[in-house]
Amino acid sequence: MGIGAGSVLTAMTTSAIELARSPQDGSFARLRPLVAEDSELTLRWRLSERAVQLNRGSTSVEQQRAWIQGRPTTELNYLIETRDQTPVGMLSLIDIDLTHRRAEAARFLLGDEAATRGLPIAVEAMKLLYSVAFDRLGLARVYGSVIEDNPRMLKWQKYFGMQVEGRLRQHIFIDGRLQDLIIVGILEPEFRAIALPRMDGLIALAGTLSHVAKEPE
Amino acid sequence: MTISSEQAETLIRDAIEALNEELPEGERVTAKPSTVLFGIGAEIDSLSLVSLVVDIETTLSEQYDLDIALADEEAIARAVLPFSTVQALQDYILERANESR
Repeated sequence: MGIGAGSVLTAMTTSAIELARSPQDGSFARLRPLVAEDSELTLRWRLSERAVQLNRGSTSVEQQRAWIQGRPTTELNYLIETRDQTPVGMLSLIDIDLTHRRAEAARFLLGDEAATRGLPIAVEAMKLLYSVAFDRLGLARVYGSVIEDNPRMLKWQKYFGMQVEGRLRQHIFIDGRLQDLIIVGILEPEFRAIALPRMDGLIALAGTLSHVAKEPE
Repeated sequence: MTISSEQAETLIRDAIEALNEELPEGERVTAKPSTVLFGIGAEIDSLSLVSLVVDIETTLSEQYDLDIALADEEAIARAVLPFSTVQALQDYILERANESR
């Protein structure tokens, strides 16, 4: 049996994504691949009050383990950790399509908010994810969605370069009611021109503040 | 256009009040001058910090015609480091506003 062009393309896609399936290190945060052993912790986060604005998922550790193990090869699912490898959240790049050079940034959740206070953990986690998308995978576009009840997240996405591209009215049932879903997207040049300077600015500022705080009297 | 110390203080207080409306009760932040916004001992995470930055920059632009980027790389070279406290943020806004005149 011969190997068709589709099979070759699929193999190339899988290979490129597998290369990106490794820890990504920053100054304050790191992303490491989500593994089955993270089931209990991530389920706890997903069932917490902070996750009320995400889709409901697994309801047991077994379900969560099966969900993690069943992730398709077109996804990169990461656990967000502090530099000392304390897990504080999760973040994913899903529906990675190397033909159309696009993917969705999704499942962004800070499970341990207290551990991230005052630190640009979320900022750097998103920067690392965008770096995987635009630098390592060569994508042209990353998109996402935010429910209307989450204005803080929408502000965050827009500040870091996402453009509002549309609104799906009453698209999703979350937190007891049908809500609009706001579609956002960022192109590779917008990442370099808008997101990266702002992310680097906050990360550098946090570094300076940490340095000042540690200086002796 | 410029901005007075009182106006800067009100602007920050209003932004914190708007932020608190979006936060769960246990995560709300006080608007005291000594409140730490970023760095060690901060009361908020970076999602909330960005929310504050966006609201303050928008108000500076729309009400005072001041286009100031509060959290760019230039900010770290300043004598007054923004966001270390509410007072430092107020001082930083005034410093940048005076430069823009």
